[in-house]
Amino acid sequence: MALTELLTLEVLIPWLLSMIFGIFVGATPGLTATMAVALIVPISFNLPANAGLAMIIGVSFTAIFAGDIPATYLRIPGTPASASATLDGHALAQQNRGRFALILNLWCSALGGLLGVAALIFIAPQLATFALKFSNFEYFWLAIFGLSLSAVVSAGHTVKALLAAALGILISTIGIDTSVGTPRFTFDSVALTGGIQFIPVMIGLFGLSEVFRNVLRKSDVSPDAARPAEKVSMLEVWSTMWKRKSTIAKGAVTGTVVGALPGAGADIAAWASYGIAQRTSKEPDTFGKGALDGVVAPTSANNAAVGGAWIPALVFGIPGDAVTAIVLGALMMHHITPGPEIFTHHADAVHSIFTIGLITQVLLLLAGYAGIRAFGAIMRCPRHLIMTGVVIFSIVGAYSLQNRFFDVWIMLGAGLLGFFLDRHGVPLPPLILGLILGPLAEKKLRAGLISSQGNLTDMFTQPICAALVSMLVVIFLGPPLWKIWKSSKA
Amino acid sequence: MAMSKALALFSFLQLCWLTACAPPQTASDGSDFPNRNLTIICPWAAGGGTDRVSRFFADQLEQALGKPTIVTNRTGGGGAVGHSAGATAKPDGHTLLMGTFELSTMHGMGISHLTHEDYEPLLQVNADAAAIIVRSDSPWASVGDLIEAIKAAPGQVKMSGTATGGAWDLARAGFQLAAGLDVKDVLWVPTEGSAPSIVELLGGHIDAVCCSLAEAASQIESGQLRGLAVMAEDRVSGFDGVPTVKEAGIDWVAMGWRGLLVAKDTPAPIVTTLRETLQTIAESDAYLTFMKQNRFGHEVKVGEAFSDFLAAQDAQWQKVIAAAGYAK
Repeated sequence: MALTELLTLEVLIPWLLSMIFGIFVGATPGLTATMAVALIVPISFNLPANAGLAMIIGVSFTAIFAGDIPATYLRIPGTPASASATLDGHALAQQNRGRFALILNLWCSALGGLLGVAALIFIAPQLATFALKFSNFEYFWLAIFGLSLSAVVSAGHTVKALLAAALGILISTIGIDTSVGTPRFTFDSVALTGGIQFIPVMIGLFGLSEVFRNVLRKSDVSPDAARPAEKVSMLEVWSTMWKRKSTIAKGAVTGTVVGALPGAGADIAAWASYGIAQRTSKEPDTFGKGALDGVVAPTSANNAAVGGAWIPALVFGIPGDAVTAIVLGALMMHHITPGPEIFTHHADAVHSIFTIGLITQVLLLLAGYAGIRAFGAIMRCPRHLIMTGVVIFSIVGAYSLQNRFFDVWIMLGAGLLGFFLDRHGVPLPPLILGLILGPLAEKKLRAGLISSQGNLTDMFTQPICAALVSMLVVIFLGPPLWKIWKSSKA
Repeated sequence: MAMSKALALFSFLQLCWLTACAPPQTASDGSDFPNRNLTIICPWAAGGGTDRVSRFFADQLEQALGKPTIVTNRTGGGGAVGHSAGATAKPDGHTLLMGTFELSTMHGMGISHLTHEDYEPLLQVNADAAAIIVRSDSPWASVGDLIEAIKAAPGQVKMSGTATGGAWDLARAGFQLAAGLDVKDVLWVPTEGSAPSIVELLGGHIDAVCCSLAEAASQIESGQLRGLAVMAEDRVSGFDGVPTVKEAGIDWVAMGWRGLLVAKDTPAPIVTTLRETLQTIAESDAYLTFMKQNRFGHEVKVGEAFSDFLAAQDAQWQKVIAAAGYAK
């Protein structure tokens, strides 16, 4: 019944339009999925409830995927959740396999999204109850786990990677500290009390520094024009997915669980999935050089996380991320109260959300193809045109985040910093990890210690903490110990 | 010939340039207000309560004054960034600020130098009282039980709602002082706001949350949480089962508020126009319905009444900030 109500033109047209809008927003660095949803909500009130919900759900899934397009082609992540696509996705693009990487990415995104929505349908109450067990120390360890991936994403440059992560954490301490409200490194500047936003930093580090690198190159031929057009066989995409089904599954599970945690999100999910895939891979050395597992893992996770974020939102009325926070407000206005009873009292609304979530994954394939095609065409322009476009979008993206010019300066500074670090072989993703996870680790450690009144044993003995700590130990000490054990046997 | 053509072109371009640079003719008495787009600065993130109220007013103002009105979110610094942007905007009435509770407290906390005297207050549009909220299975049936529990084991009851020194931390600190308790008798665990605090409460990691009833409406209505007491003069409509702390003999009121302000020195006629237009919107049925749907408290004070309220708030919170030891 719900299906026939959804598959009408008055629902499908705004739905697809919002998804195309999502492709544009996601592929533009600085425009976030949250911003897209905040803009769509007022429009959705003038539409039937189903059309409104479809627009919101559609835009949130597409924006996360679309962030991977510029990350793969240009090494500029469109959203924070797609920063990991700058590693293997971009490496593949440099080998003239960018289109293949993106189509693989798109199918894995849709599949990851599908599995995330499936988890929402079948195990939402259980997973939500589990998510509530996470308190301060649990999030602290999760953040430490994420930070430790700095070493994973930069094999061979561990010291430089840790340096970059530390720099990221240092930058994240600027501003009013969120625990007790003390201004730090603000030098009486109002702009600095707001802290250094990580999106302008990300745009500068990746986008602008890429422009600087290109300026130094002599040739003005577009990256793609000189090469024969890339032909992608769908059979190859599907067989690649089949061979990597366990990576997809691991990614989707990681994404759903991390997404369901109200204090984490798609960005952390993508990195965690990348790290797990690398540590459990038979060929860990290929990561960062165009490993297909490195494309599949983060993208299955970040779209699954979007579905995961709906779990605590529907079950307890707790937003899992900024997007679900906006949606919860909209649901309350439609007199739908989220909570344990929503599945019985508002079964219609819940079923609509489920059905929309599932169909969105199919529509994502359509909208995604359009996005890849459009971006592929842009990539055939002369390089100086592309790079001019990148500069313009970097400036607009940095400015539009808060409508203040201060962020443009931050972006320019980060561009110079990124260029400098890159030339000295310092990997950039750890810096972003430090910026995103540094505040989480700090805030949760402090709140945890305040709550436990300085007692450190809780930090290790709480069941989930203990599990996370042992996971860290196994992931980092396991492979070398295994090697030692094997060689001693031989 | 070529020379004179070039000259003609040059003078033409110069003329264009001068025309473009000339300041638009604006009447200093504000009789042509508004003559360009309007902006409402929201010091909090897109999607939150303040953002939603800001977007409602932007939409209505656009219809009333006929000029596009946009909301820009200037977040960060515990509200300092947005409030400062409102105070330093050009005082011509085209940039409004959706000010919040933090304006009364942040100068005392050492976060900003701004006070309400740096603005021309237009009108208050909302007030939500602080409330103490517990899990439905909590052993405490009344605020009296909570006070007994705090007295029995000082420093053991854990509460949250904001960062340390945030709106709801100050509200509960003032409540404790009014109830004859020490501020440190409750352990305040800092979080980023009411939503993450509610997660901690539902997970059993803390004992109570201090925030507005509206912020916990979905969990209260679904029966997961329960309001113990509200720090208002009267019971809050829509939550009539929740008694006030005054009913328990504790003389304390703590209100989070939202209101529109413009920069100091905005010409008086413009301020009057804005006040009249905004008052009509704030008293409209559309606004009442919107506030009811969002469970926000409808409270309108215009002009002088709003200024007096802000002055009284300032005095009330400076006392609490000093007593709690947060003064900087």
